[in-house]
Amino acid sequence: MGGFGPPAGSPFAAPGATGLPFAGVPQELQDRVDALLATEPEHDVPVVEFSQADFDRKPFTLWRFVGEKKWAVALAFVLVVIETLMVTAGPFLTGEAIDRGIVPRDEDALLFIAGLYVGSVVIGTIVSALRVSWTGRVGEALMEMLRVRIFSHFQRLSLNFFTQEKAGVLMTRMTSDIDSLTALFQEGLVNMFVQFLTLAIVTVVLFSVSPILATVLFLGVLPVMLILTLWFRKASDVAFLTVRDRIADVMSDLQENLAGIRIVTATNRAKRNVVTHDNVLGSYRDANDHTAVIGAVYGPATELLGYLAQAMLLALGGWLVAQDRLSVGELAAFFLYLTMFFAPIQQLVQLYNTYQQGRAAVRKLGDLFATEPAVLEAPGAPDLPPMEGAIELEHVTFGYDPAVPVLEDLTLRIAAGETVAFVGETGAGKSTVAKLVNRYYDPVEGTVRIDGHDLRDVTLASVRSQIGVVPQEPFLFAGSIRDNLTFAAPDATDAELEAAVDAVGLRDLVDRQPEGIDQIIHERGSSLSSGERQLLALARAFLSQPRVLVLDEATSNLDLASETRIETALDAVLDGRTAIIIAHRLATAMRADRIAVIHDGELVELGSHDELVAAGGRYRALHDTWMSQATVVDDAAVTVPT
Amino acid sequence: MSITEDRSDLEKAAVDVALDVDAPPTAFEPDPPPALYPPPSGRIDPDTSLGWIRRMAPVVMGHKRSFAIAMGMAAVALFSNVAIPAVVGSGIDEIRSDGDRVSTFVIALLVLAISRAFFTFGYRSRLYKFAYAIEYDLRSLMFRHFAAMSHGFYDKVQTGQLVSRANSDIRAVQMLLAFAPFMAMTMMTFVLAFGFMLTKHVLLTLVAVSTLPLVFVFGVKLRNVMFPLSWVVQGRLAEVATTVEENVTGVRVVKAFAGEERQIQQLASQARRLRWAAVKVNDSRAKYAPLMENLPRLGMALTLLYGGYLAIDGQVTVGTIIAFSSYVLLLQAPFRMLGFFMIMSQRAAASAGRIFEILDTPAEVTDRPGAVDLVEPRGQVDFDQVRFRYTEDEDESAPPQHLRPEEAPAPDEAGMRRRSRPQQNVLDGFDLHIAAGESVAVVGGTGSGKSTIARLLLRFYDINEGAVRIDGHDVRDLTMTSIRHHVGMVSDEPFLFSASIRDNIAYARPDATMDEIVAAAKAANAHGFISELAEGYDMVIGERGYTLSGGQRQRVAIARTLLANPAILVLDDATSAVDVRVEAEIHEALERLSADRTTIVIAHRLSTIALADRVALIGDGKVIAIDTHQRLMATEPRYREVLATVEEDVDLTDDVATAEEVDV
Repeated sequence: MGGFGPPAGSPFAAPGATGLPFAGVPQELQDRVDALLATEPEHDVPVVEFSQADFDRKPFTLWRFVGEKKWAVALAFVLVVIETLMVTAGPFLTGEAIDRGIVPRDEDALLFIAGLYVGSVVIGTIVSALRVSWTGRVGEALMEMLRVRIFSHFQRLSLNFFTQEKAGVLMTRMTSDIDSLTALFQEGLVNMFVQFLTLAIVTVVLFSVSPILATVLFLGVLPVMLILTLWFRKASDVAFLTVRDRIADVMSDLQENLAGIRIVTATNRAKRNVVTHDNVLGSYRDANDHTAVIGAVYGPATELLGYLAQAMLLALGGWLVAQDRLSVGELAAFFLYLTMFFAPIQQLVQLYNTYQQGRAAVRKLGDLFATEPAVLEAPGAPDLPPMEGAIELEHVTFGYDPAVPVLEDLTLRIAAGETVAFVGETGAGKSTVAKLVNRYYDPVEGTVRIDGHDLRDVTLASVRSQIGVVPQEPFLFAGSIRDNLTFAAPDATDAELEAAVDAVGLRDLVDRQPEGIDQIIHERGSSLSSGERQLLALARAFLSQPRVLVLDEATSNLDLASETRIETALDAVLDGRTAIIIAHRLATAMRADRIAVIHDGELVELGSHDELVAAGGRYRALHDTWMSQATVVDDAAVTVPT
Repeated sequence: MSITEDRSDLEKAAVDVALDVDAPPTAFEPDPPPALYPPPSGRIDPDTSLGWIRRMAPVVMGHKRSFAIAMGMAAVALFSNVAIPAVVGSGIDEIRSDGDRVSTFVIALLVLAISRAFFTFGYRSRLYKFAYAIEYDLRSLMFRHFAAMSHGFYDKVQTGQLVSRANSDIRAVQMLLAFAPFMAMTMMTFVLAFGFMLTKHVLLTLVAVSTLPLVFVFGVKLRNVMFPLSWVVQGRLAEVATTVEENVTGVRVVKAFAGEERQIQQLASQARRLRWAAVKVNDSRAKYAPLMENLPRLGMALTLLYGGYLAIDGQVTVGTIIAFSSYVLLLQAPFRMLGFFMIMSQRAAASAGRIFEILDTPAEVTDRPGAVDLVEPRGQVDFDQVRFRYTEDEDESAPPQHLRPEEAPAPDEAGMRRRSRPQQNVLDGFDLHIAAGESVAVVGGTGSGKSTIARLLLRFYDINEGAVRIDGHDVRDLTMTSIRHHVGMVSDEPFLFSASIRDNIAYARPDATMDEIVAAAKAANAHGFISELAEGYDMVIGERGYTLSGGQRQRVAIARTLLANPAILVLDDATSAVDVRVEAEIHEALERLSADRTTIVIAHRLSTIALADRVALIGDGKVIAIDTHQRLMATEPRYREVLATVEEDVDLTDDVATAEEVDV
């Protein structure tokens, strides 16, 4: 099997044999990365102006976007023109050298013209280097602006925007859309211009040298070339789409078989699944084979066209030269220009894809920038003064879809310092109350007030920074425990931090970490138990010393031990604060001063635990179910939590 | 020496196990669907001392015929390719000398061009198909190997990483195998063309190609500079993406704490850092790429200059100069590709090494020779003095290092990361005897080894000491397929496939009739909610974001096990994620399921215990006490302690998954 394989023992032999480690970054690469990073200057901290309400509302178009750097872009185009002229000069100079130097045996003329040729190559190289460097700089500067702008608008948009679209789709604004635009700027636009220009220059030269030859070429070869290229683009688009679909099938079949391997083995499906996988693989291979055929047709066919044109040129050119209507040098130049003539057409068709993708990205980004935040800060709104914590909902009606109200005409007053628990079935609207208080959403009708201020009349930041939220699924950022805690209060001192850690009972966890509070927690805190994550979220809320605290089913997914810890921590945190507790479990609800029972978007019962049990309504029914469940095994001495 | 021999024997065995899946299915296995494609035509050479290409040879040799044809066609295409510029050059000379033979050259050119097109199409399409065939073989071999691996392997790898690694590694190898012959052809072109040019004029040839080695040099330089740079750019792109992702998924927290401005500031800094690296990349390209583009052109200019002098002297013709110009363009390709090819080979070699590492990992649990089938068991289960621990990482059978979960190689986090399995004995002197038809609940604290019992009974792992018996037969003497046919399990986190509900229920018996499937669903109390779905049993799980709630998934899993109708049943607390009403329904189903069969219930909840005749309290890897629930309550204080920790508060709401869907 010799020929192309590297011999065993060469640097390319299987590293398994030499025991090279596969994991991590190779040391050599790491060293070079380090050396590279040593050359990186300190970047000045970019200052970003951010406003919730004021932003660029003019439509986002390609030209407006590029227009931000219009002089820089104009310079790039000048460089491109020079570069292209230098490149296309070659064949012309060759023809001249033959006609003026070689044929009349004039050595000086030959030296002069060939010297011009060398000069054009040198200048072309330098200008090309400048052009690549310049367009890169301009493009990256534009991309940086765009990244910040997209991200700022994300921050501005309201919660409804994020729940309507999958996170993965939103991510593509910042990943694949930016990639498409980068491709358009670095390669696409400039390259298209280069190819157009080349095509134009070559066409002009061909027609001026020999109109007959050029006409024959244009009528005979060009149409076929175009048809072939358009066919290829279409066929390969379809074919590669199929390949993408099929490889996705392969990957998901593989992934599922591995993830469900226990079921696969337990049900004796291994052999069956091997055959199924082979079938999936086979159809992937068929799709690949199809692309192979398409590619193998297009490449040689277009090259064949080029050679047919050359044959035509040879036949026709011979006749023209014999009639003295064409010089040998011109014929030679013609041959060389022919090789330059087909490449731009093929390239342009390919670039059209880049262009389309770039346009699509611009359109999607335009849509993003045109999206108004649903919860918009009133221009010039004042800050909410330091809170007392009195919350009023007055005739509040709200629906995520305004046609389908989740809450209807809800009126409720929560006194400063009071704890109110909301209970009710899933979908009854109890979480929604918390979201309105935090102004994640604005009510469709009615008013939400804190300390008598309508939330719509004050700044968003001043409301939210005074309300602490512990969400159902505690979200942690990649970073240290400290980073996560200080997220709510960036200026917190170490002493405050330690106090928060102690208050919620996180001390054990922190002390267990090798790095203490600076320990980096992994992706979303996957290294922590859900109870620990919940405690961290609680400490985070505690650290910001909010006047109002919202706990959204904060203890629903915990085991008993963690729950006990959190309940204890809550006592410390709730002390003296207004609290809204969205409760899944009665034990949690029972701690509150008052309990609000929400049913079908309406407040149906309100009162203390004892009052509601005595009233014999919905709450009583819930309570009874729970009591009977808690004693399923009658012998078990289960303590009823109080 | 003998040690190496032992090792390679072991590895041979590993490869053999992977081939097991090609044997015809036993009576206990569902019949496979018709195979539309043949199995791989070869497999990896098990001799690990060989270089990677040699080890890959049996796979490649399976396609040698199409490869040979491709290379034959390539040779013809190649010849035409090199001959064309010469014909054009001679044609121009013929025109210059006013000859009448121009038409000969035109015809020659036409013939060459057509033959070139035909044979290039032939060899290119075949060569690509050859590469795709090898990709198919490698992927199929890999899957066969995965299918034969035992659970110890999967405990230690992250499947996501496994899948993406396998994918990119196979692709790297496939690309090289497709590209290498291509490269060889290009090199041949170079030799032929260069040889032809030398016959015309030696010194002019050297002048014409003089700049080409520099194309190679700058190509290598560019790649060298790019290598660390693109690494940095990728890292910074990921940094930005992470920030965006966190802010999109954690938007509630960011807004709740009014963190918008700080997040923007952070992103702006990251974008600035990214821009620096991206500009660096671009500058490197600006430095080398134009040189690589223009060096061949310089060669053409020099050819014109020196060739012009020679032509004035009458040593060469104008046609030769034009032909040489074309050859310079033809010859630059190998110099451009060579550097790329070298990088590619390195990458492919490393990838092949990783692929082999997976394929060389032997399966831990295999059928012993002469193992017998378990036939119509009564259902008596015995654990005799069982000692068991999960294998540690240092074990020979451990999967390749790069596939292990991230936490494994990070000892500094040992205190934090409790997910890797403890290496001490999970069971030690474990004795449990269950009569045929009896139901036994197993109760114990977290990490007491409750769930391990099920895995051992199904022989997902082999024990270190003692014996696990079914009807008195040691499970190691029985065929694995027969055990798994007769022992059914419902796990605590039921895994469903992205297939229709019907296919999921019929997973163990794909040939089951619709009536049987519906009957199983009814018995599992799943028929009700399934019929309420828009597409009923044809609802594909996971499609259009549709997911089942925890309780629904569990009931589908129970139906799946019910349909298999096993003699022995293991329920790994199948009701942990559901609310009271649903739990009652599931228990009803379970009672039906466990009637008349041996049942082991791993209980995490009090109410589950009610399903069992007896309760085994386990701790420290042993059975501490076994008796009825009432008597244990009365006599065993440790039992009451454990129960106190397993009992949970009662959930007021419906299934958790539904809550997520509705909660906007």
